[in-house]
Amino acid sequence: MKINDLENLAKKYRKEIFEKFLKTKQGHPGSIFSMMEIVVSLYYGGFIRFDKNKKNFLDKILVSKGHATSAIYPILRDFGLINKKDWDKWGESKSLLRVFGNTSIPGVDITSGSLGHCIGSGAGMAVSYKNNDQDKKVYVIISEGELYEGSTWEALLFAKHKNLDNLTIIIDINSLIILGNTSDCLNLDPIKDKISGLGIETHEVDGHNIDSLINILKVTDESKNFSCILANTIKGKGSSVMENKKNWHYWNPMTKDEIKITRDELK
Amino acid sequence: MTLQRDIFIKEIIKKMEIDKKIYFLSADFGAAALDELRAKFPKNFIHCGISEQAMLDIATGLALEKNKVFVYAMAPFLSLRAIEQVKCGPGLMKLPICMISVGIGLGYADAGPTHYANEDFSCFRSIVGSSIFTPSDNQTTKLIAQDMLTKPKFSYVRLDRDKQYDLQPKVNSTDYRNGFKIFGKVVENKIAVISHGKIFHDCIQAFKQKENKYILINLFRSKPFPINLAKSVKKIKNFLVVDEQTPSGNLSSCVFEGFRDKNFFPKIISKSLPERYFFENGGREYLLNKFGLSKKDILKATKDF
Repeated sequence: MKINDLENLAKKYRKEIFEKFLKTKQGHPGSIFSMMEIVVSLYYGGFIRFDKNKKNFLDKILVSKGHATSAIYPILRDFGLINKKDWDKWGESKSLLRVFGNTSIPGVDITSGSLGHCIGSGAGMAVSYKNNDQDKKVYVIISEGELYEGSTWEALLFAKHKNLDNLTIIIDINSLIILGNTSDCLNLDPIKDKISGLGIETHEVDGHNIDSLINILKVTDESKNFSCILANTIKGKGSSVMENKKNWHYWNPMTKDEIKITRDELK
Repeated sequence: MTLQRDIFIKEIIKKMEIDKKIYFLSADFGAAALDELRAKFPKNFIHCGISEQAMLDIATGLALEKNKVFVYAMAPFLSLRAIEQVKCGPGLMKLPICMISVGIGLGYADAGPTHYANEDFSCFRSIVGSSIFTPSDNQTTKLIAQDMLTKPKFSYVRLDRDKQYDLQPKVNSTDYRNGFKIFGKVVENKIAVISHGKIFHDCIQAFKQKENKYILINLFRSKPFPINLAKSVKKIKNFLVVDEQTPSGNLSSCVFEGFRDKNFFPKIISKSLPERYFFENGGREYLLNKFGLSKKDILKATKDF
């Protein structure tokens, strides 16, 4: 697919998920919209390989920011892992799909929601692949808020020590947590210095620029080092009603005007 | 005598010779047998640093890839520090990770309260889907290790820091399947004493040569609670439950709930440590004596029936 096609796909998925938000009246739009180009790049940029015969992915994506796992539901639907019935049912009672992902959903590789777990779990998978000479990669998407969790740093140390070059961490840096800007709440900066200070190969990228994302993912794929991508993003990307607004971490009731504006912007 | 941890690890080493899917993770906690394991299987031994939380997450990733995973650390840290990782990994995803926890109760008496594990039992009882084992001797420890290697399951194995005497008669395969072993003949007017781990040996000493009045029950598997236990002791009306834990959610709660589920409501007296932390220095026996778990105290507790 061309870059332009992938950009349109990201827009389409944002729009579809927005309609689901309107239906379900729950979820985490800010965090989902900030990582849409990241997941589109991974699934459609040739990084997550799909076995058409077995109908499964060879490589893994662990969405550590579990509140945003539903960003991948429309992608899993388009790969045929989530069927139309389950997709349509999302938002009704007893539906398979829900706000937080879990391993009962086809194509979701981990049950997440509690923050700070998935770098460690991804490292465990990566060790297993290396020991068994399996040509498989693990991508872990974390929120910058997970940098507050001690287990994140424990796992980064481990992955660096083992030089897990089949593991790539993508940090979605949208600069907002529930109570406000990270710089005001408890400053994390300079994130790049902190990660690279551990000796980890660290790259910085515009997390909404698919061309840049794919280029940097190619670099980390070819690298012989454990690597980390800092993706600078906008919380609520695509909707002026939501962008950079902390209260849009969660779904909020919208006026008719706000719905119209967002629909128009997501076209 | 060999330490329980060495017995357990030796069984793992035997199996690792033929099974490359076995992983042993340590949070910088050692054992004589572990030196052999590390030397023989460097790829399958993973030093996670003094990072119990990451260790559990790494174990989760390995288990998701269908490996047989053992994690190993000092009891207070493996249990409480990483308990949310336990819930989210092997708990929520039903992964067969075996946690080997060493130094339960007041085992690290010389170290002080940060190193005591007097709450680990109740914490793990509350984690959905876990099995809990507290062996009192090496034979039982060996059987648990063999079971976890043959049929891996989400389990919390509580080992003592110190060497433990062998139980006589030995726990056999039938006892193992049951999850408990009764020492003495079940007779209506006897008092049953239930315990596990090191403190079970103190019970043996306390009730020595009083077999006409007491039976002893070694409850080495407390979760799932043995389904046959209530039936096996239904003639008995009075139970003393002895545990080196603080009161909330300890072995007596476990026994009460296990019996209740079988509609069996005997009188149960709990003999455990008091609801406090222990800063006093003087060794394990000193602390047990000071806080009401001496052999004399255990015997005296039966006078209340």
